[in-house]
Amino acid sequence: MPDDDPIAAIMARCALRDAQAFAQLYRHTAGKLYAVALRILRREDWAEEVLQESFVNIWNHVGEYSAQRSAPMTWMTAIVRNRALDWLRRPRQEHGSEDYDLLVETLADDAPGPEQALQSERAARALAECLKRLPSNQRQSIALAYAHGLSHGELARHLRQPLGTVKTWIRRGLEKLKSCLDDH
Amino acid sequence: MKYRNELVREALAAEYALGTLQGCARRRFERSLRDDPALRRYVAHWQERLAPLDAAVAPVQPPARVWRAIERRVTAAPRGWAALWDSLGFWRAAAFGALAATLILAASLGVLQSERVELMVVVMSDERAEPKMTVSWEADGRGDKRLRIRVLGHAEMPPDTAWELWMLPGGDGKPLSLGLITTHETQSVPVPRELATAINAAWGLAMSVEPKGGSPTGLPTGPVLYKGQCTRL
Repeated sequence: MPDDDPIAAIMARCALRDAQAFAQLYRHTAGKLYAVALRILRREDWAEEVLQESFVNIWNHVGEYSAQRSAPMTWMTAIVRNRALDWLRRPRQEHGSEDYDLLVETLADDAPGPEQALQSERAARALAECLKRLPSNQRQSIALAYAHGLSHGELARHLRQPLGTVKTWIRRGLEKLKSCLDDH
Repeated sequence: MKYRNELVREALAAEYALGTLQGCARRRFERSLRDDPALRRYVAHWQERLAPLDAAVAPVQPPARVWRAIERRVTAAPRGWAALWDSLGFWRAAAFGALAATLILAASLGVLQSERVELMVVVMSDERAEPKMTVSWEADGRGDKRLRIRVLGHAEMPPDTAWELWMLPGGDGKPLSLGLITTHETQSVPVPRELATAINAAWGLAMSVEPKGGSPTGLPTGPVLYKGQCTRL
C-alpha cells in the first residue's frame, strides 16, 4: 500500500542522499507541513523555525523510516507535530493568538481532503464517521487538542470546564474512537 | 519507567499522538519509546488513525527563506556510491522492498554501468524486517567468486555456535550451504565452486545458527536469523 505512494518513492531516493529528491520532497510536502505547524503554533516565525528543524530532521533520519510502520506523510507530519509541540511547551514562551478556527465542522465533513493521493480516502471517511458518533464535547476536545496542540489545561480554560472533565472527555473519546475505527 | 498494563500503554500512546501527553509525562514516554518497539507500534497506529485530521488543512506556502536555510544545513552530507554503500540508511531504504530495489537500480545504474559490473545484492533482515546484514557479489565475474558481507550493527554469537550462510535456490529447491561466516562487520568469503553459476539465479539467502563447525546434516538445523531476496543491480 505505501509502495504506491509517490512520496514513498521520493523518500527512498532521499535515503540514497539524493539532494534533488529532497528538494522535490520539500516542494511536495512543505505547504502541508507548514500549515500543520502554523495551526499548532499560530505564529509564522515559529512555524518557519519548526519547519526548518523538521526538514533537517527528516533528511537526517529518512533512512530510518519504515514503510511497514506508517505512511510517509504520517511519518513526516509526526515529526513536525512533535517539534511544534516541543516548541510550544518551551518555558517562557508568550502565546500566539488564542483564536482557534472552528475546524470541528470541517472535521465532520464527509468531503475528502484535496490530496487523496496522500491520505487514504477510506481512512479519512472512517475517521470522520467515527468522530461524528462521539458526543460533541468529546469530539471538540479531540479536534482542538490535535489541531492546535492544546494541553488538557488549555482545553479546560478554552472550553470553560473543570480539568478532570476535559481529561475524561479526551480519554473516553479516544477509547470510543478506537473501537469504532477498529470496527471499520 | 515501564508501563506494564497494555491498556494503559495504548491509552498513553493515543494521548501522545493526540498531543495531550505533555511535560514530564511526555518526556518520560519518549524515553520509553526508544527501546520499546511495541509502544512505538501503538504510537504509529494512533498517528495513522488521526492522520486524516490533517487532510482538512489547506497548504500554506512557506517563505522561500525556509528552503534556503534547510538547503544550507543539509548540503554537507556525504555523496557518491562508496558513501552510499556504507550508509545504514541506504540499506534500510533497500529494505523498502521491490520499489526501492528498482529505485536503487535506477540511482546506481550510472555508476555501475561505467564500471561494467553487474552486482547481485541481498539485504538480509530479521523477523521484524530490520536490515541486519548485506551480501553482494559480482554476477558475471570470472574465476573465483567472493561474497562481500557486511554485518550491520553489533551482532553477537553465543559460544559454541556458528553462523552458516545458505543459498535459497527458489521453488522447491533445498537450501545449499555457502559456508560459515563470522560476526565481523566486513568480511569476504569464497563461493563454493559448484555454486558459482547457480548463485546468480538464486531466489535469496538465509543465515542460520548452527552448532560449532556448521550444520551436521547439510541443511539448516537451527533458527534462521536473517533472510533476504536477491536483487540484480
